[in-house]
Amino acid sequence: MSRRGVGLAAFDRSRITSAQFASHGSSLRSANAAALQTQLEVFRSLLQQFAQQHGREIRSNPTFRAQFARMCAAIGVDPLASSGTGSGSGAGGGSLGGSVWSQLLGRTVNDFYFELAVRVVEVCSETRNENGGLIELRKVQERIMKGRPEGAGEITEDDILRAVGTLKPLGSAYSIIKVGSKSYIRSIPKELNTDQSAVLEAVQVLGYVSVSMLMVNLHWTRARAQTALEDLEGEGILWVDKQAEEEWEYWSPSFILENPDFAVGG
Amino acid sequence: MSDLQPQPQPSSSSSPPSSFTFPPEYHFPPFFTRQRNLTTHHAQLVKWSNLVLSYCRHHRILKLSMSGTSGFAMPSPNLTLPVVSSGGNSSSNNPGPYPPSLILGEVTAGSSVVEVDTSELFHNRKLNRRLALADIRSVIDFLRKDGRAEYVSTGKKEPSEGDLAWIYWRTPEEWAGLVEAWVDATGQRGSVLTVYELIEGDGTLGTEFHGLDQELLLKALNVLVKRGKAQIFGQEDSRGVKFF
Repeated sequence: MSRRGVGLAAFDRSRITSAQFASHGSSLRSANAAALQTQLEVFRSLLQQFAQQHGREIRSNPTFRAQFARMCAAIGVDPLASSGTGSGSGAGGGSLGGSVWSQLLGRTVNDFYFELAVRVVEVCSETRNENGGLIELRKVQERIMKGRPEGAGEITEDDILRAVGTLKPLGSAYSIIKVGSKSYIRSIPKELNTDQSAVLEAVQVLGYVSVSMLMVNLHWTRARAQTALEDLEGEGILWVDKQAEEEWEYWSPSFILENPDFAVGG
Repeated sequence: MSDLQPQPQPSSSSSPPSSFTFPPEYHFPPFFTRQRNLTTHHAQLVKWSNLVLSYCRHHRILKLSMSGTSGFAMPSPNLTLPVVSSGGNSSSNNPGPYPPSLILGEVTAGSSVVEVDTSELFHNRKLNRRLALADIRSVIDFLRKDGRAEYVSTGKKEPSEGDLAWIYWRTPEEWAGLVEAWVDATGQRGSVLTVYELIEGDGTLGTEFHGLDQELLLKALNVLVKRGKAQIFGQEDSRGVKFF
């Protein structure tokens, strides 16, 4: 190209060049898209095949299910993405209706978690009055397992975590919070402050705490301990026992146990 | 744990009283303290009323007596389940502020009354926790709203403040349904039976209402009267009933 285009032809030339670039670009793009399309087709059919072959196992075998979920996560696929906002579904998602992955995987995996999510919601709302909307993950698991027919396969905590995740697109209040070593499902949108979390963590040890226990172990002032406990009681998360020998004890309803071995003595 | 025995003639249909399995919350200490959070308290009332109903159903207890106002006095240690049965004498072992006759006065054949003050139902000895009388009354009131309890009218007091309450693990309507089904099944529509026959007769052996408290059975029969399904006639001790 001349250093200095002279005359009107220079304009034509640059126009032609850019047109050529554009056409080449678009042919590259379409070739690329075609290649991707093919890859996607292959991947889709393989994944579909996999899910079909192992559908039953995915539903019934918790270890296998966890592995499958991990594999999906590793390749950047969320098997539970329930709307077009899922990874890479961009333009296609809307027209297909529902999740790309639910179409890929058949309905097996999705349905499993959605059904589980429904049970989680049921358990949370059944027990909300007694626990203020904060329930131990393990409790939910126990209750769901109890309600299932014989031989229906085991449900792991991991499954429940994923099931709660599926509720997110609904904009619902369900969330997982971790206190100490235990996970809880919170079904009322309210934050716990640090003191309240500390109390809940302390409650996990014996099932209850009292003002003086908090004062001794956390070096809190009486007023601080009192406030934290009364707040939690006020939210319905702790129950008060006024018949304890020395002072009032505040109990977590998680300790309403089938087998009350802890209750000996007193 | 002691049984309901001795009962002079156990109703044929009720299984021998095996020990009652308390629900998990019975072993949860705060369950015995009235919860200050209203939502929690409601959950607590629901649990208590379910417990009261299933406990009474299990032991075929028809009435709870709240006459013992001794509050937190310890009951006699060897008495785990003081039940006043028809021939009951346990109330005499159980000195309360009320003379035994007052408790027994309400009791007719086949009914059993439990004194809430001493019953294991409201007192978990292992935990050393008990539900206060005022809280027991809230439970009873909660049951009343549901039609599952009713204060026995003594004539002297307002029925709402009675010391004795029916616990309807089966409501009079439900008892009426059982009687009616039995009348149907045995083809006795149009016939006349005495109330005594219904309760003690061989014909009702094996039915749920055999040996039932007479007053309660009359309540049930009155339900049928209101529905135009029966007519009651006769005097106090020799009442008869005709089914239509």
